[in-house]
Amino acid sequence: MIEPLYIPGDRWLHRLPAGYKLAALVIAGVGLFLVQNVWGLLAAFIVAGALVWSTGVGAAACWRQIRGLVWVLVAIGVFAVVFQGWLSAAIVLLRIAALVGLALAVTLSTRSSDLIAVCERALMPFERLGWVNAGKVALALALTLRFVPEIWRHYQEIREAQAARGLARHPVALLVPLVVRTLKRAQQVAQAIDARGE
Amino acid sequence: MMKTQDTVLIALFAALIVVLSLVPPIPLPAIPVPVTLQSLGVMLTGAMLGPTRGLFACLLYLLLAAIGLPVLPGGRGGLGVFFGPTGGFLLGMALGAFMTGWLARRWVSVSGSNLRTVLAYGVACIVGGIGAVYLIGVPWLASVTQMGLGKAALAVLVFIPGDLVKVAIASWVAWRVERVWPILRESP
Repeated sequence: MIEPLYIPGDRWLHRLPAGYKLAALVIAGVGLFLVQNVWGLLAAFIVAGALVWSTGVGAAACWRQIRGLVWVLVAIGVFAVVFQGWLSAAIVLLRIAALVGLALAVTLSTRSSDLIAVCERALMPFERLGWVNAGKVALALALTLRFVPEIWRHYQEIREAQAARGLARHPVALLVPLVVRTLKRAQQVAQAIDARGE
Repeated sequence: MMKTQDTVLIALFAALIVVLSLVPPIPLPAIPVPVTLQSLGVMLTGAMLGPTRGLFACLLYLLLAAIGLPVLPGGRGGLGVFFGPTGGFLLGMALGAFMTGWLARRWVSVSGSNLRTVLAYGVACIVGGIGAVYLIGVPWLASVTQMGLGKAALAVLVFIPGDLVKVAIASWVAWRVERVWPILRESP
């Protein structure tokens, strides 16, 4: 049900280690806020666009990711033109588009498992201090992925049962049974894990 | 100390936030457009699990989005959303769940009257689920768009009525469920 946004490929962006890509993204994120020149930001936007295109993403998948952002950008653009003039509007919009494009390129070209591995390495110092238990984080992550489809099925069953009784979609009537089922399932799973002695 | 039960609850509530983010937008009373239940899921998680587990459940949800799974409303995800103008509202959710849980644990009393209990949940959800989320989201929006703090705050005012309806629903649901299945006061 939740397919990763990653697109399999073997271009150079795919082969670059995930840690480097994330570090470059953070540096670019800070750097782009220091650039106030519209041509510099236009160049950054073109680079970001080229990187997204180089991942081999389809137009439909790309549109689904930026669709929500387009309306926010339109609103911000209109606002900036009215209050700050065309040039500031162009600077703000190009900076946001470049940043989002770069981040999207990283997401499209990096496996989820590689990003998790980077997270694990970043958490290592905290684990040595005893603040984080990597085993429990991994268990929680695996459980979440495992239970999204199941909770989704519960949602549909509750919806169908209520529709059969002629009830319209109502958040309270939906949420109380859904949360109780989730709690019940959590108790069963916890008992099963403890019984296995892990 | 975290028990297995706590780890499982954190994971399943993160999954619940994913499902609530992905269900088709639901029409709410007094709100002209249908809304997604993502922020309702965050309030509910804080109000039911308490501060620490609520925070972790929310962070887990954000981690899923960050590693490129389409768990945000509309099937979006990936790092792009975090770097965009509304990224602050995402990070604010973690603080929001924590604050909601912390206040709910302080104010919600087991023995109090029903009305008082629902109101305590409601105030906790308003401070955490709206206040804390906007506390990070609005300055972030203002700095990314350079529109100034006051104007950014004005721009997001349109979302407050919908958020208040979600607060009412989250408080009601948390109260109903906590009555039959109390978990707010378990450790940690």
